Amino acid sequence: MDTQTLMTGLRWQDVLDIAFISYILFRLYILFRGTYVSRVIAGLALIWCVKETAQYLGLIVTSWIMQDIIAVAALIIIIIFRNEIRSVLQAKNLRAIFWSVPRKTEATPLEVTVESVFRLARHKTGALIVFAGKEDIDDAVRGGVELNGDPSKEIITSIFKTQSPVHDGAVIIRKGRIYKMGTILPLSRQEDLPSYYGTRHRAALGLAELTDALVIVVSEERGDITVAHDGRMTDVSDRFVLSGLLERHQGVLPKHSNEQSEARLQSMIAAVVSVLFVTVVWFSYSRGLESMMTLEVPVEFTKRAPRMEILETSVNTVNLKLSGSGSLIRATRPEQVHVKLDLENAVAGRNRFTITGENVSLPPGVFLKQVDPQVIEVSLDAVGVKEFPVQVDWVGHLRDDLVLTHAEVIPPRVKLSGGLRLLEELVTVYTEKVPLESIAGAGSLRVNLVLSQASLQLAAGAGQRVELNYHVQKRTVEPKTEN
Amino acid sequence: MCEGIESYAPKTAAVVFSIEIGKVSCYSSFDPVPEKTYIYHLWYLKDRLTTRKRLYLKPPRWSTYTSIQLREADRGPWRVEITDKDGNVFKTLRFSITD
Repeated sequence: MDTQTLMTGLRWQDVLDIAFISYILFRLYILFRGTYVSRVIAGLALIWCVKETAQYLGLIVTSWIMQDIIAVAALIIIIIFRNEIRSVLQAKNLRAIFWSVPRKTEATPLEVTVESVFRLARHKTGALIVFAGKEDIDDAVRGGVELNGDPSKEIITSIFKTQSPVHDGAVIIRKGRIYKMGTILPLSRQEDLPSYYGTRHRAALGLAELTDALVIVVSEERGDITVAHDGRMTDVSDRFVLSGLLERHQGVLPKHSNEQSEARLQSMIAAVVSVLFVTVVWFSYSRGLESMMTLEVPVEFTKRAPRMEILETSVNTVNLKLSGSGSLIRATRPEQVHVKLDLENAVAGRNRFTITGENVSLPPGVFLKQVDPQVIEVSLDAVGVKEFPVQVDWVGHLRDDLVLTHAEVIPPRVKLSGGLRLLEELVTVYTEKVPLESIAGAGSLRVNLVLSQASLQLAAGAGQRVELNYHVQKRTVEPKTEN
Repeated sequence: MCEGIESYAPKTAAVVFSIEIGKVSCYSSFDPVPEKTYIYHLWYLKDRLTTRKRLYLKPPRWSTYTSIQLREADRGPWRVEITDKDGNVFKTLRFSITD
């Protein structure tokens, strides 16, 4: 089966099928990305690829094992990852499950720091946080305890609590991690500092004068936030301003556009991979195994000339042997298969037609292998109208003392329509059998007409029944003659 | 159609005849008869021709008849067509043979 055959046999249902399953797979990726479930699903996909390859290469045991693993995979996933699945289903609404793309909620060190600084300011907890620049600050600072941990709100606020032994020192953040805490900074020697600046402010400015570091000060007395950088002090009351200062200092690109575009790219790659994977699986499943079936289908005669009538056909149904993939063959319903014979060029009399693939319409992906019988004879006749006399078909026994002298049928003649050959052969239209036993005198009956050929019918306006008026006489008894 | 002919006249004309009477006749009378000629009585049972009889007519008027003997298989609707020598139908008489 070549590529063209594969593609031309594609139904709209198949496209919908692939699109639907691809979307389900894509949503699974979106919902479970970053968890073990997604890795297991990827692993199963890999196992499926191995199985297909093994089947293709004829590796019997390998393909058998892979097939069994895939068969129980769904069960394994549900059992092992029931907690993850439950948390996804419980935590998200339907829109989140089927449509929206969850954003990453992981905060960056800068965001954590900004959040922590404003929290400390709210609680009027003094703090001193140093963001190292490109220059080495180890020579400028003294003491401190190495931490080398990821910054978090909890750690930062804990460090600056008054109970903490290192709360008077500075925290140094380098390369996104808390490098040291409890560090002593050099004090500035400027004498024109505002009177409300304390030792923390002086220490912050001292380091900012000596290095390119950025130092954040949280005032213990007023809860103000001041940034010392490049030998200057700047009061900051807005968290976006502080974030901007930190981002510029750390050389961070505008994170939102960057992260969003990266996330969008990842989603697009996932979507493409989902479609490709499902398409391959679909074709492998639906077009892989060839199946056969035989279907008895009625023959439909089309484009018959209006003045022609079908007298008889050699067969009314034909047996079609069909082939295709197992799934498509199983999905094929008799009403989807049609055998149509075009009678446009047929003539009055006997016609022979050979049924070919052009006469048979099949669902996409299903192919015709054989037709039995392949030749159909169709007898046609031109349709006409002819008038016939009506005769009563009396039956039974009339009473011996009666003579049925006269019978009149109204109307005496009726018009029939049908094939001209049949009409030519017909001479009389008879009534149904009329029993004589019940006749005791003159009377009237309504009786049905009997048409000898089913294809003949009464012309428009003619009734199926006629009126029968009859007359009887008493039989005259002849006088006996004596010898 | 009649059960028989008596004194050159039809006896017991009817449209239904019992097979028990054994015979049925078709009586035809022509007036005038311009010249000597002949006619046919064509007997049909259920549209199938069973008997064809030629009858001669003589001027100035003429009556003639044909009869058939009835057999068991003769039950059913009959007709007799009276035609001229060219097949033109003068008259069709319809009747039934019954039990």
